[in-house]
Amino acid sequence: MTSSSGTTDIGRHFEKGKKIRRRRRRRRRRPGRGAWAAAARGPPPTSAAASAPGRPRLRAGRPAMAGAGGGGCPAGGNDLQWCFSQVKGAVDEDVAEADVISTVEFSHSGDLLATGDKGGRVVIFQREQENKSRPHSRGEYNVYSTFQSHEPEFDYLKSLEIEEKINKIRWLPRQSAARFLLSTNDKTIKLWKISERDKRAEGCNLQDEDGRLRDPSSVTALRVPILKPMDLMVEASPRRIFANAHTYHINSISVNSDHETYLSADDLRINLWHLEITDRSFNIVDIKPANMEELTEVITAAEFHPHQCNVLVYSSSKGTIRLCDMRSSALCDRHSKFFEEPEDPSSRSFFSEIISSVSDVKFSHSGRYMMTRDYLSVKVWDLNMESRPVETHQVHEYLRSKLCSLYENDCIFDKFECCWNGCDSAIMTGSYNNFFRMFDRTTWRDVTLEASRENSKPRASLKPRRVCAGGKRKKDEVSVDSLDFSKKILHTAWHPAENIIAVAATNNLYIFQDKAN
Amino acid sequence: MVGGLKRKHSDLEEEEEDEKWDWGPAGLRSYQQALLRISLDKVQRSLGPRAPSLRRHVLIHNTLQQLQAALCLTPAPALPPEPLFLGEEDFSLSATIGSILRELETSMDETEPPQNPVAPPGPQNEVLPQPDPVFLEALSSRYLGDSGLDDFFLDIDTSAVEKEPSLAPPEAPHNLFCAPGSWEWNELDHIMEIILGS
Repeated sequence: MTSSSGTTDIGRHFEKGKKIRRRRRRRRRRPGRGAWAAAARGPPPTSAAASAPGRPRLRAGRPAMAGAGGGGCPAGGNDLQWCFSQVKGAVDEDVAEADVISTVEFSHSGDLLATGDKGGRVVIFQREQENKSRPHSRGEYNVYSTFQSHEPEFDYLKSLEIEEKINKIRWLPRQSAARFLLSTNDKTIKLWKISERDKRAEGCNLQDEDGRLRDPSSVTALRVPILKPMDLMVEASPRRIFANAHTYHINSISVNSDHETYLSADDLRINLWHLEITDRSFNIVDIKPANMEELTEVITAAEFHPHQCNVLVYSSSKGTIRLCDMRSSALCDRHSKFFEEPEDPSSRSFFSEIISSVSDVKFSHSGRYMMTRDYLSVKVWDLNMESRPVETHQVHEYLRSKLCSLYENDCIFDKFECCWNGCDSAIMTGSYNNFFRMFDRTTWRDVTLEASRENSKPRASLKPRRVCAGGKRKKDEVSVDSLDFSKKILHTAWHPAENIIAVAATNNLYIFQDKAN
Repeated sequence: MVGGLKRKHSDLEEEEEDEKWDWGPAGLRSYQQALLRISLDKVQRSLGPRAPSLRRHVLIHNTLQQLQAALCLTPAPALPPEPLFLGEEDFSLSATIGSILRELETSMDETEPPQNPVAPPGPQNEVLPQPDPVFLEALSSRYLGDSGLDDFFLDIDTSAVEKEPSLAPPEAPHNLFCAPGSWEWNELDHIMEIILGS
């Protein structure tokens, strides 16, 4: 969908007659950017990845899927040797609520890694350029910029606090030297510009070095200011604030492939925005019943298709996913496709609906599949088949017999996210006890790993973990009853091109890399 | 979580592992009652300075609905109803349900009802659906007025949900309602009717 200028079918939700001004962004090329960006992507992966002898490998030379992104595709999740790389955050046992990480997102090239926390702060890490003199050192992520994105607010009308917690961060595709991201809390979305400044002007005519303005009449001779280098300064400034469009809590934002629009979804509505326009948005999905007493289902996540700018999906608390085509009607009340797996009658319980609630939905990079996360499993769906998923991966099936306790302590309402690797051959999601799970879709193998300070020696390999569901516990296994449910990994991210993953464990951010990297 | 309650739940967990739904009627009923109590407790606790999570609210409400349906179908226990301590808990529960519905109304509706003196400031950015006058009127007349509450709960039966004696303070438990019996059960039934409009 291109931005409208009053076309009739969608025009009814815009003020009629108003023209939408589009400012063209000038593309500037900064010298040396190409080399820096290339270095940040890291060395090209080799097909013969270093691995322990005897370990079976994926088929070498597997072609990357169309549209999978730059850099080729290293072998998928499982035959890799994941190693600890870095951990960010305080070691303190006492975790301040504000420091709990609430979202993690790599930029499109993977050179920047953004995190948001409950205190409304955004911290961006940048991957250091690989040092030629130390060829074995892999690019580390170090703090690039930190800023306060959202502040706590109070809605006086309803006597309710509005949390400053950052629910989601989404990067915009890069169009200039500056970087842009969208960050959102429950109510307000903000577009942030992050730009570098490494030069300053000296010898201005109308301003002296302290910044005080000079009286123009006192200037007798003109000089040309000189640009002098200065220490790199990274500035973040809010460029747009998209507010007052959501009555309910925003759970998702998604940038469209047209790079001009994005969607924001709350419990009952999805709005479409133009990145340049903040004073109005276009409602495209509304599931609010006329009578609130009849409310039985809410929207839990939404995303735009990676290539088709008219297609979006949204998931619900009843375990269904609807695909909508914005070309078919202005208000996407009727879905184009409806994805739901029929319930297994033998496993029905009072908690069936709660555990079927989809907490995250993500398109594959190829755009051919989508992945949904519910409480106990991850499902991969082929967009051409609505009747059932093509793959179901159990995350922590041993919790099925504990649902009553998990209901009581509210853990059953935890919203886990999931992510694809760059070539869609592997998927990852979090669990409890600071465990996270990876599934290789080609070999159908899975592994459980742990993000903990104990395994945080540089380049230390992560040992696979096992949970003992019942019966005799083997050595090195963790029993279900000793799992720490306060240590939950809800947010994970996979580098778009390489085998680098970021895992948020409460207030710590772990970065793991493949040994071969 | 209270000590007595915890013990009961671990029993229930074990039972659930062994035999899925092949319980005796008493076991099943006590399990459902426990879930019912947990659910009501959750609803009560969801109030706070922050707007309640609508998703959580809807999921709990749907679970309550299933429990109600199940409790309808399971036979009432043959055992005589045990004495219940209700005390302040009753009024707090009934007041809570009223405030929960009010909370739902204020946190979810974007326009203020006509009878509310405070009008929303500033223009709204999208076409707004009509407010729900019937729902709001039902709320304000029935739940926001004090006089309605006592009459509302007079004839409720207290037997369906028992409370553990460990929850009671040291003094002797006293029953504030006229008739012992499943008062909470009927109360819930009535509330469900209101919520579901059935």
